[in-house]
Amino acid sequence: MGLSNRQQQQCWEAVRVVLILTAGVIMMVPIAWIMLAAFKQHVDVYQLKLLFTPTLENFATVFSEPYDLGQKLWNSTLICAITVAIAIPIATAAAYSFSRFRLRAQRALFVTILATQFVPAVVIVLPFFILFRDLGILDTRIGLILINLSIVMPFAIWMIKGFIDGIPIDTEEAALVDGSSRLQVIINIVLPLAAPGIITAAIFCFIIAWNDFLFALILTNRDAVTLTVGLALFKAEEGDLWNLLAAAGIIIMVPMFILALSIRKHFVQGMTMGAVR
Amino acid sequence: MAGVKLEHLSKRWGDFTAVDNQSLAIEDREFLVLLGPSGCGKTTTMRMIAGLEEPSSGQVWIGGQIVNDVLPKDRDVAMVFQNYGLYPHMSVRNNIAYPLKVRGYSKADIEAKVREAAAKVQLLQLLDRKPRALSGGQRQRVALARAIVRTPRVFLMDEPLSNLDAKLRVTMRAELKHLSHELQITTVYVTHDQIEAMTLADRVAVMNEGKIQQLGTPQAIYDDPTNLFVAGFIGSPAMNLLAGAVENGVFAAGGVPIAKVTDVVDQSAVVFGVRSEDLQIAPPGAGHFDASVYASELTGESVLVTVEIGGCRVAVKADRRTRLEIGETVGVKVGAERVFMFDASTGKRLRGGERLRG
Repeated sequence: MGLSNRQQQQCWEAVRVVLILTAGVIMMVPIAWIMLAAFKQHVDVYQLKLLFTPTLENFATVFSEPYDLGQKLWNSTLICAITVAIAIPIATAAAYSFSRFRLRAQRALFVTILATQFVPAVVIVLPFFILFRDLGILDTRIGLILINLSIVMPFAIWMIKGFIDGIPIDTEEAALVDGSSRLQVIINIVLPLAAPGIITAAIFCFIIAWNDFLFALILTNRDAVTLTVGLALFKAEEGDLWNLLAAAGIIIMVPMFILALSIRKHFVQGMTMGAVR
Repeated sequence: MAGVKLEHLSKRWGDFTAVDNQSLAIEDREFLVLLGPSGCGKTTTMRMIAGLEEPSSGQVWIGGQIVNDVLPKDRDVAMVFQNYGLYPHMSVRNNIAYPLKVRGYSKADIEAKVREAAAKVQLLQLLDRKPRALSGGQRQRVALARAIVRTPRVFLMDEPLSNLDAKLRVTMRAELKHLSHELQITTVYVTHDQIEAMTLADRVAVMNEGKIQQLGTPQAIYDDPTNLFVAGFIGSPAMNLLAGAVENGVFAAGGVPIAKVTDVVDQSAVVFGVRSEDLQIAPPGAGHFDASVYASELTGESVLVTVEIGGCRVAVKADRRTRLEIGETVGVKVGAERVFMFDASTGKRLRGGERLRG
């Protein structure tokens, strides 16, 4: 006797749940391992036991000499925050222009901006090193901010343009006829409507800048070292200090977790619903 | 309050000409409808009046002043868009208040004017809602209220009713008519719906292919079309247009003689036009020509009979008690003074000889 439709549906449901759980476990295992390792003593790290006496000692160690993760955390935070603070207003203005004005060579410009994203970072990191050395901005936060801007800006322009494209042109034209200047249209109409997109883009940019490793590795050595590069400090002569690595890893991950969660909250579509039919 | 004048206005995009050297004077307080099929340049014309589109050449005058270089915000016009163009992040109240806010009106002033405008379009209960919580008709009312909240020199309405369902459209049409009578403000109204044009307009400008084909009162446009396009576009059901030839004073379609006409020189390519309500069903042999019934449809107020003659189909509006079988032969009588002749190649009206003999 065959299964009824309902039973078949339940079967598929079960298969789906199992598949999703499996995928979830595979993805979560490394993170779980780091979570555990961060609270373990050095001697316990290589043992897979789940029961141990948790310690916060690793966190204390990474923030003290010689590791001094605090300075690197500060560098990372400052670099990312300033990058986003500069990138988003400029990207929003550029995205608006791309979306709404007919510019000369618009297509070529836009494609060029996107094309910069296809150049592998390793290819350009050495030229940048020489350039920065000559400019005297090696191992400075300003240098890294400039680099990060060049990385996140095309992405931000592209993403925000998508959101502005979604705002019905009628709404803007109505505001123009109603008596607003172009700037008032942007401030009163476009920015509030594109806000979810702009916030999302800002968070993505922050994450990209936060996770940058290669440029920070090559272009800094002491003063402007970031968190990701700081991880390399824990490869010592006596081997990898996994418990410290894990603690630092958590410090890198936690802000990203919080940001990722907040993206979800802000990523509300349907803001423009109701403007037009 | 102001009139609008267009002088030799053109709009081109590359090779495409949307509006082709058109001139038009709209009187103060006039309700002018730009009517035409989609792509005829009517919306572009309106957008040039609003300042949303820059003319390629020619001038736009509002109230005795050339406004070509005046920004939309300074033209003192109000516009209602087909898609409403509401501000989705603002409440109905703030939507209506926006034109006043950007002009720096005082809070108390704004509130009073918003309530007044909302009352005119029956929106008072919905002031705190967001547009997405409104029905289509309500959204259109918000757009209207936003237009009438201050007194602009000119109203521009771009197909304001075409997104509404048929029933609501009729109601809103009446409301618009009432409102425009009450406000007495110069209005330019764009539509492709000839019923809207006929019912609302003081004058109608029928447009096609970037050119105004005819400008006149709804009555004149209906009774006295200047060319084939206007004749075919205005009227529902559309005017019967029979292609044929005039030979020895007799118009024939597909070789079948239809009617004798006076004063028209013999021509090989003419179009004979007559509206369905100017035709009558008669007993066979008693009309101008005999034809066989192709279909008979009861519309309620009348019966629309389609007959076939000389390979053409002709619609006749008959009394609602008329009952005819398909294939039956009937006579068709033509109202002698309501026929039109057009030159088939140029579409121009052939005047002077449009009477039937006998």
